Amino acid sequence: MKDVVSSWLLFRVLFNPTSVFEELSNAEPQAHLIFLKYVLWLAIVPPVFAYIGASKFGWRLGAEQPLIVPSNDLVLISIAYFFALLFGFVSAAIVAQWMASTYGARHALGIHFALIAIIAAPLVAGSVMHLFPHVFLNVVGLIPPLIWSMYLLYKGLPIVLDISPERGMLMASALIGYLLVGAVSLLGLTVALWGRGIGPSIGI
Amino acid sequence: MGPRHWAVDRYLVVSDTELSNEKEFYFDEVVTALVMFSMLWAVVAMSVGVYIAAELIWPSLDLGMPWLSFGRLRPLHTNGVIFGFGVSALMGTAFYSVQRTSHVPLFAPKLAWVCCFGWQICVLLGGMSLLAGWTSSKEYAELEWPFDIAITILWVCFGIVFFGTIAKRRIKPIYISNWFYGGLIIVIAMLHIVNNLAIPVTMSKSYSLFSGAPDAIVQWWYGHNAVGFLLTGGFLGMMYYFLPKQAERPIWSYRLSIVAFWAFTYSYIWAGPHHLHYNAVPEWVQFLGVGMSLVLLAPSWATMINGIMTVSSASEKLKTDPALKFIVLSLAFYGLATFEGPMMAIRSVNVVSHFTDWTIGHVHSGALGWNAMITYGTFYFLVPRLVGAKLYSVKLANIHFWLALAGTMLYVLSMWGAGVSQGLLWLSLDAIGELSFSFKDIMASMPPFYALRLVAGLVFLFGTMLMTFNLFMTIIGRPTIQVEPPIVSEEWAVK
Ligand code: HEM
Ligand code: HEM
Repeated sequence: MKDVVSSWLLFRVLFNPTSVFEELSNAEPQAHLIFLKYVLWLAIVPPVFAYIGASKFGWRLGAEQPLIVPSNDLVLISIAYFFALLFGFVSAAIVAQWMASTYGARHALGIHFALIAIIAAPLVAGSVMHLFPHVFLNVVGLIPPLIWSMYLLYKGLPIVLDISPERGMLMASALIGYLLVGAVSLLGLTVALWGRGIGPSIGI
Repeated sequence: MGPRHWAVDRYLVVSDTELSNEKEFYFDEVVTALVMFSMLWAVVAMSVGVYIAAELIWPSLDLGMPWLSFGRLRPLHTNGVIFGFGVSALMGTAFYSVQRTSHVPLFAPKLAWVCCFGWQICVLLGGMSLLAGWTSSKEYAELEWPFDIAITILWVCFGIVFFGTIAKRRIKPIYISNWFYGGLIIVIAMLHIVNNLAIPVTMSKSYSLFSGAPDAIVQWWYGHNAVGFLLTGGFLGMMYYFLPKQAERPIWSYRLSIVAFWAFTYSYIWAGPHHLHYNAVPEWVQFLGVGMSLVLLAPSWATMINGIMTVSSASEKLKTDPALKFIVLSLAFYGLATFEGPMMAIRSVNVVSHFTDWTIGHVHSGALGWNAMITYGTFYFLVPRLVGAKLYSVKLANIHFWLALAGTMLYVLSMWGAGVSQGLLWLSLDAIGELSFSFKDIMASMPPFYALRLVAGLVFLFGTMLMTFNLFMTIIGRPTIQVEPPIVSEEWAVK
């Protein structure tokens, strides 16, 4: 068993996922290394894109004029976005590890971090859409990466965690439940922040 | 004939061992009929959903005809999916499971047929009355008073058949699924009668006994508990019978299921006011609604975990059984809808989400992801057993699974995008503190989202059609097989 995984993992997973799954199924990566090497950076990329996009073009929500948010607020929002993503990744890995015992899957936290990192990779790559923060384009643009992520989840999870495809199917569906909840929490949090005066000025 | 034998043989073995008893069979023909009607309504009502989704992009699709207008087709969609598709499925599965958990054939089978056909006629004529423009204007209770009376009578018949069967049961404990189905029958009867109290003026028009704020409160007491006891409670009954059956495992924690049942029953009833935030109803009523909505998260998630844990050790079943996949995924979406709901009940979130498509997204994450998905899983399990044959095509069922997942995800994502944009735009202020955008401008920017939702709907509808075809091919030309109740052991028997 290798305790390090090769670099470029996240790029390879976009084009040649099977080799990545095989590699991970034989590796025993350490949680903190995966965290520092991959997870942290994955969580930084979307907020940076979002910041650049919003400050250059403003939020395009479909109305005629874009919504320009003051740059102080943008920094705050981007930082909040970063922490929300980080929380999402870390908690998803912990939840996956917690579920692992139910499905008889591998238990080391490192491998769960790696799993979440490869599932997130396409979405993070897709977040390049944030450079032009037009809501509809972002929704549409994120659909192909989302499909790819789901494919990685359903296909990769059983190989990486060393369980039968059927168990993998069950665990992947349970994990989707958690991830959907994570996504909707992000919406709720955002909206609640607006109400507190952080973000665009709205009449509440 | 080939594939039929395995099931027929299996059941015959049971009956041979007890030849001494006089023959008595479960009454399943009515179940087969209800399942077929349910599928029919699913296709019809979701097609209407697709049509109104298209009308929101191209309003002229109403072709200038009143009965094709959005305002009339929308209630046709909601009534069709909830009462046609949903209630037919619930009636059918309730009749099926109550016999098996009571170990007796249905009480008053003729009355069960009355329920079955009466209900279908009611939905059909009710749907036509909506197209004709009859409406009480209460959401999910649009049907006018003649239908309300017919529904009440049919619902009482449903109750007589169901509780009659329980009353003559041979096994002492009343299994948890029956508590949920029983809750559905009693609470919906109560809600339906109170909310529809009205003074008829003509055949097609009546006026509610309530007015103003009390009218709103009663309406959302009804509306939310239709969600609580029909779209949640009824379908949980389905889940609690069919999930352990398919997994061939007992419920992970039976005690948890009972606790959750009572927690649901006591808290759902109070949560309705979260539909009326910042309205002319007393603030404490609104806060009560918020509190109870937050409390609801606990039994909802306990139930989801109970379900997920029950299947977790039964993975080998997935190799042969396409049905279980749907049920597992439906639990994930149930988890989503019941997390999103309490969140949207919080006033500082609701102030943005109310009046937007976010609500529509929430509705359909529950409706497609939970209600439809669990029903599909149940039908794929049930139909082959009803007629004693193998499923016509496992491959089509597997394709359906991915279509259902994709359709639901696209629907929810498009509405989240549209909803959050709307919420922000409705409320955004310009430098001098006036609203920045007009309603018209905002709506003019929505078609891309609506187009995405239209695609989602088409994908979901196509999957539903595949299932309908698949299951009709399974049923066609085969009679419903006869199954005898097994003997109840001394220890559990009703003496
Ligand atoms: C714990 C559970 C749930 C809670 C607390 C909850 C809460 C809410 C809230 C706050 C709204 C928005 C009200 C508004 O702003 O107008 C809503 C709407 C709705 N929810 Fe849920 N929800 C829950 C679960 C579900 C489930 C499982 C379904 C199943 C389909 C569902 C169906 C609906 C429907 C149909 C509406 C739209 C009502 C209308 O305005 O016509 N909900 N819910
Ligand atoms: C092919 C699938 C479906 C499509 C395309 C579809 C489409 C739609 C559309 C366009 C609306 C009106 C939204 C608006 O007024 O802006 C709607 C409302 C609604 N639909 Fe569906 N629908 C589908 C399936 C279902 C199913 C299976 C259910 C229930 C089990 C359901 C329950 C509802 C409800 C309760 C509403 C009213 C929501 C509210 O008032 O807040 N739909 N649907």
